[in-house]
Amino acid sequence: MGLKIDALTCTACMACELACGYHRDDAFALLSSCIVPYRAREKKNYIGVILKEEDSLIAARPEGTEISRIGQEQDPDKEADASAKPMLLRESCDLCEDLDDGPLCIRFCPVNAISME
Amino acid sequence: MEYLASGKIAVVDLATREIIEEELDDDLVLEKIGGAGITKSLYDRFADQDPIVLGTGLLTGSLVPGSSLGVITAKSPLTGRVSHVPLSLDAGMELKYSGFDYIVIKGISEKPVYLWIHDGIADISDSDDLWGQDVWTATDRIRDLMGDDLIQVIGIGEAGEKGSDLAQISINYWQSGDRMGFGNLFGKKRLKLIALRGMGLLEIAEPEEFIEKCGELLSAVKSGGAAKIRGIAAMAAALGAEDIGEWLQPLTHKHMACFNTSVPTNTFVFLDEDPSLLKETTVNEPGVLLTDISPLLIFKRLGLTAADACHVLKACAKYGIDAAAVAELSETTGLTDPEAIKGALPDLKGPVSSSGDAVFSPWAAVGNQEKEGWMRRQAVAYIFGIHPLFALMAPELTEEKLLDISSLGTELELTQETLDEVIADITG
Repeated sequence: MGLKIDALTCTACMACELACGYHRDDAFALLSSCIVPYRAREKKNYIGVILKEEDSLIAARPEGTEISRIGQEQDPDKEADASAKPMLLRESCDLCEDLDDGPLCIRFCPVNAISME
Repeated sequence: MEYLASGKIAVVDLATREIIEEELDDDLVLEKIGGAGITKSLYDRFADQDPIVLGTGLLTGSLVPGSSLGVITAKSPLTGRVSHVPLSLDAGMELKYSGFDYIVIKGISEKPVYLWIHDGIADISDSDDLWGQDVWTATDRIRDLMGDDLIQVIGIGEAGEKGSDLAQISINYWQSGDRMGFGNLFGKKRLKLIALRGMGLLEIAEPEEFIEKCGELLSAVKSGGAAKIRGIAAMAAALGAEDIGEWLQPLTHKHMACFNTSVPTNTFVFLDEDPSLLKETTVNEPGVLLTDISPLLIFKRLGLTAADACHVLKACAKYGIDAAAVAELSETTGLTDPEAIKGALPDLKGPVSSSGDAVFSPWAAVGNQEKEGWMRRQAVAYIFGIHPLFALMAPELTEEKLLDISSLGTELELTQETLDEVIADITG
């Protein structure tokens, strides 16, 4: 069981990132979130979402989802990271296991781009 | 100020290059709440030095739906009034997390400079390599210089440098909601841009209750009338303006939201690439993000194709001039050739009616809004930090609920009486 992200529906609003940050810190912060909308190619409007799971890095992009096993060598031509704190240094997604209502990122996504699979 | 804030105000003197940090006092928040309430108060304090004041709303950067808004308050060179313009997209959020809640910029620099605001540090640096560059080049250069593509840039192009009264402050590459000629003020102060990066943390007084209320508000919004709006054309239609959806659709690549704003009010169009492309384009500048409804409505009325209109908007974005004013002057002079409109940009002058007669930018005055209700809703949005267009479309965010959630987040008792006083102060 894990998160499923629809990059075509995502509007890059960052609500998921902030909700996840709250789950980590009990405050509003963006550095510890394990789910991050990819905003670094703004002029090209190339938007996706990166999620760190325990063993994998999920890149949900408009053309499809790519899963990289953590520890494997990455393609140097692909920027996997959109944020100041590298994704690999962050805690992995725990599906907000302490919450009865399930993951906060799902709850706070305004366009229902995140779901459980 | 301990909660939902960094607790600091920066007072930047461009003439002496001195930067003084002040504490954001609870008493000021109790009296003025936040956002435009406090930027107006700071403007009044430094009024004799023609300040530009940036700030964020009390709820900016939080999980309250629509909490994207920052504000710039200054005296408009177009209207002569102290006015408020919106900082949307991700700029308001980035300011909130930068370590400063408010920034007062006073004085005139001897030579071109930029401000770098990050991690609770404010620096003034020479901008020799940036001055003279268009908005897009300057944004690329400052991001390259700092090595961070997520830096949010509030800057000017050649229009502001050359003293056009229609100069607009831009947000990154895109047009902002500045209809007040604030780009002209940046140029006069020789301030090319403000680069923002925020990695701070905002404590919440009652976190569990606050988050619960945020969730309830989002659920209410998702059940309301705004929930199905996607993109700038749909937003225009929802506000009672002409439906430009069919006209714009062939160029539409993707609808984009401002920070934590439930409705994507912006639309990216591809001009030099196939709009249906899903993978990353190899074209470096394939199109433009549409952030302002009014110029689209006017250019369509003038008979321009959507592609021609968007090419003009891209040119306006690079030059740093208010596209709504350009569209209005094109209509006034009967100019309908897109190349001629682009060629005329350096010579355009106000006055223009697109700056409106209110203290809030008419960027969000679209369609058939009743004026008094619009003014009050804008005031509420600018005080709490709620996206001004979204605020119009989301009546679920009542004043009572915003006050209630603000008190939960800050541990300060904020009352309707105070809100009424602040609204009267900033709209008076």
